Amino acid sequence: MNEPVIVLDHLSKSFGDVHAVQDLSLTIAPGTIFGFLGPNGAGKTTTMRMLCGLTHPTGGHATIADADVWKDRQRVRTKFGYVPQRFSLYRDLTVLENFRFFGGAYGVPARELEQRIERLLRLSDLEEKVNTAAGSLSGGMRQLLAIGCALVHDPPLLFFDEPTAGLDPVHRQQIWNLLYDLSNEGKTIFVTTHYMDEAERCTEVGFIESGRLLAKASPRALKSSFRVRLLEIDVEPLMPALVRLRGVPELLGVSLRSGSLRLYAQEPEKLIAQWRQQWPFPDIRLLGERWVEPDMEDVFTAYSQGYDGVLKKTEL
Amino acid sequence: MKWPSLGAIASVAYKEFLHIYRDRRVLLLLIILPPFFTLIFGHAFENTQLTGVPALLIDRDQTERTARFIEIISKDKTFHWRMPGPDFQNESDLIGNRVKAALVIPSGWTDSLNKGDPKPLPLYLDDSDTNTASAVEGAVQQNLGTFQAKERDLIVESLPEDVIELGKKLPVDIRKQFVSLMTAWNAEGKNLYNPKSRFIDYVVPGVIGLILQLLTVTLMACTIARERESGTLYQLLVTSLQRGEIVIGKILPYLAVSICLVAAIMVLSSWHFGVAFYQLHVLALICLLFLLCSLGLGLLISAFSRTQTQAIQFSVFFLLPVFVLSGAFAPLEQLPQAIRYISELFPLTHFCRAFRLVNMYHAGASFYIVDLIVLFAGVLITFIGAAFLLKRIEQ
Repeated sequence: MNEPVIVLDHLSKSFGDVHAVQDLSLTIAPGTIFGFLGPNGAGKTTTMRMLCGLTHPTGGHATIADADVWKDRQRVRTKFGYVPQRFSLYRDLTVLENFRFFGGAYGVPARELEQRIERLLRLSDLEEKVNTAAGSLSGGMRQLLAIGCALVHDPPLLFFDEPTAGLDPVHRQQIWNLLYDLSNEGKTIFVTTHYMDEAERCTEVGFIESGRLLAKASPRALKSSFRVRLLEIDVEPLMPALVRLRGVPELLGVSLRSGSLRLYAQEPEKLIAQWRQQWPFPDIRLLGERWVEPDMEDVFTAYSQGYDGVLKKTEL
Repeated sequence: MKWPSLGAIASVAYKEFLHIYRDRRVLLLLIILPPFFTLIFGHAFENTQLTGVPALLIDRDQTERTARFIEIISKDKTFHWRMPGPDFQNESDLIGNRVKAALVIPSGWTDSLNKGDPKPLPLYLDDSDTNTASAVEGAVQQNLGTFQAKERDLIVESLPEDVIELGKKLPVDIRKQFVSLMTAWNAEGKNLYNPKSRFIDYVVPGVIGLILQLLTVTLMACTIARERESGTLYQLLVTSLQRGEIVIGKILPYLAVSICLVAAIMVLSSWHFGVAFYQLHVLALICLLFLLCSLGLGLLISAFSRTQTQAIQFSVFFLLPVFVLSGAFAPLEQLPQAIRYISELFPLTHFCRAFRLVNMYHAGASFYIVDLIVLFAGVLITFIGAAFLLKRIEQ
């Protein structure tokens, strides 16, 4: 396998008593689409900002292409593009002016810049908006522009902090298609997201919770980390059942999925066997039951809620 | 540390210029404020003498002599007299009478003059602003002097022949002494350094300094704070731009705009008020140092503030004492010595002093070199301070 592009070695960041990132160690190979998952406040953005050299680690260190992300940050900056969570381009400048400014800021030679901008305009589908102020673009187009500007110096590595937050499905799809194109060109992509369907699109996924890395594997491997089988039942009426089932001590959690209830339990077989003999809720009818394959959302829920015994211990 | 690249600086400068250009309201402000302020301040301070002070004049004596005095004093433009009848009471209630002063000629005044025991004229003065009172008192005193001289001449003219004959018996040198004593003694003023004796010539550097300090400090103070507020600062910091390139790139467009403003103010004051400028290249150097110092201050405030609102507040807190204590509109010598030490900390103080030394006194470099050095030190301190604060943002 290739040398890893990104290496995190016991990376930590504390703000006073708050430990935003703790002892984070992982490596990312070139060409990976690495999905960084975790609930709000888990430390995803802080990790990304450390990797971008915007804040210094309080412990451990990290390297990008063998250069320290803090000590060598001036040098590292040419190697990656960064699209922050919040739209951070100049709203009063037009699409073209934003491209030109960031091209200049990254020191792209003038004779190359025009060609590159043309290509990026095509790639981000903004050719008709060249002279529109960035502030007047729709959310999706803004994000495409932000990605385009992060690509202007043709970096081998890209950081995207929730690139599709708040976008409609069409624009989400468009952004992901763009990410695939970039990956296909051999670029490494580090992306944080809340959307589980997006996690499935990554080649590798890391779960972070309260600043600690809980798992890192391919989506397939993560899903197979479910030790137990997943029970799905159809009941009526639905909402009272959901509320009542939450109170069952053997159940670690209940989630509603397309009109059915998904049950997380350490020993679901025992539970359903009991229920087949005697259904404990006379006012709720059990219409059906089946075993389902866990998806990323189940994995995410199990990891972030810390469901004991549901997951196999994975090696990081 | 790498040497700053011109291309990178140009990118930042062009972007910053676009920000100014796109913000039409600020642009309008930049175009309208300088000429507006120049005209307003130029005309406001054209004449520093008091005129038309509302005042009461009450003649309780009503004699030919008091009529002669009133004729003299009513011609003085310092006052706008109201003359109620001799029975008017309440003259000391200045605010109730809506006047700043009240002069009373008491009954029996003429008599007292005739008896060789002149009574003083009661004069009530509004001393609330500590300024009007002394000016009005001086003007009244001056008019009394004029009146006294005329009365003396009248008496001398009406002296009978025999008295004059008697006077001729006095020794010549004593008579000459008397003549001297009867003539008003004068100091003959020759005003130097402001041949046309106009305040506008004095106040031009004040106007230039005021406008430029106001605009450059506040506009500059907003630049980094705005990027911080909108999140673009981090996007800027992850590029391969160095801090020095960002700082220089941000300064340049504002420097260019400020230079245009200085030129506009100077052209207007020369064309409209006829102010002459001496040694333009030296004035240009003084302006440039002052501009850089102001921009540096703005930058320092900007790197220090978290939001644009804070930046504006800090600017105002800094600028207010500057305007009062910098000697832009009034001589520093009016201030007590202890306060003058504070004044020396403001770039505007040194700018105004150096500008006047060149333009009014036509003084040599040795007179203003200290002010230039202080301004230059200010430029260094503010720029280094701003770069240092910017570095802290990255942590």
